[in-house]
Amino acid sequence: MSDDEPSINIPSLLTLAVVSFFVIRWFFNRDSGAGGSRAGAQGRPRGRVVDPEQVEQISQMFPQLNRRDIIWDLQRNGGSVAATTERVLTGRGLEVPPPSFQPQIPTPSTNTAATRASASQSAKQQAQDLISRYNLGSRVEDSSEETESSQAQGGWSQSRNERQRLLQNRRDEMILAARRRLQQKDREAAAPPSASPS
Amino acid sequence: MSSSSVAQKRLFHEYRNLSINPPEGIFAGPATEDDMFNWEALIQGPEGTPFEGGVFAAELKFPKDYPLNPPTMKFVGGGVWHPNGDDPNHYEHASERWSPIQSVEKILISVMSMLAEPNDESPANIEAAKMWRDRRNDYERRVRDEVRRGLGL
Repeated sequence: MSDDEPSINIPSLLTLAVVSFFVIRWFFNRDSGAGGSRAGAQGRPRGRVVDPEQVEQISQMFPQLNRRDIIWDLQRNGGSVAATTERVLTGRGLEVPPPSFQPQIPTPSTNTAATRASASQSAKQQAQDLISRYNLGSRVEDSSEETESSQAQGGWSQSRNERQRLLQNRRDEMILAARRRLQQKDREAAAPPSASPS
Repeated sequence: MSSSSVAQKRLFHEYRNLSINPPEGIFAGPATEDDMFNWEALIQGPEGTPFEGGVFAAELKFPKDYPLNPPTMKFVGGGVWHPNGDDPNHYEHASERWSPIQSVEKILISVMSMLAEPNDESPANIEAAKMWRDRRNDYERRVRDEVRRGLGL
């Protein structure tokens, strides 16, 4: 009885291998057939087609990312924007695709060019400086008169409004003071060394 | 007493201490007292680093059960070009052993020291980490540029 087992197993394993080979082949043929008919018009290479809109979407969220990396990741995770976003947000970053991976990077049409412009604009807004973030533009101008005297020390008040004012003042002053110091440094760097030996 | 009112009291207490005795180079307080669970913070770039002279803004969001659990922190505005850059939990590397004895002040101080000494082992911003490792001069120049940009110069 036990002698029979190997002799049964090897042919059955072979059969299994052959059957699965055909099943897999059929599966992939079907897949590429479907993909080919869709992408054939644009002459795309075989393989899963990544939706350019998804690439655009991620690229807008993370302008620093390389489109090729985005396409690679989308292709690998089955076109899931959420998975790619998650990956970037958790700080794992995107894998660098192999050099052989040369996708058609969607050329921005007039439409996407517009969205890209707005994307870079929003990126700029996100990367706004602290002066505009806290509306300090007007106070930058008359910075010369606000000298060390207004250097806000710590402060606390029983009045809630006064507390809030003190806090904001301290915040603004910290930013403006840093800016003044940097400007001062610039002036010193620009002045001839003989004028200011420091 | 609910945990959220414990958190509120504790946050108010920290707010008061930070206002009366502000630590050098650090600012922190609730964006508005209507919501004690959202704070804004400023950190001065540590001296002797390319961040020197800069001021970096961050948002702190506290859980309702603070201080049992730590707040999350995120740089805002120009952000920070740093190997541990935009990792929302980056300071936890420094204080992974969060305990209720920690405080906002300690978190901010540990973030400050992280700016001075990046933790190369778990970079959140891989691009910045590579630059920091391989092209230190470029890295420092970029940080200095961003310091200026952050202050609108």
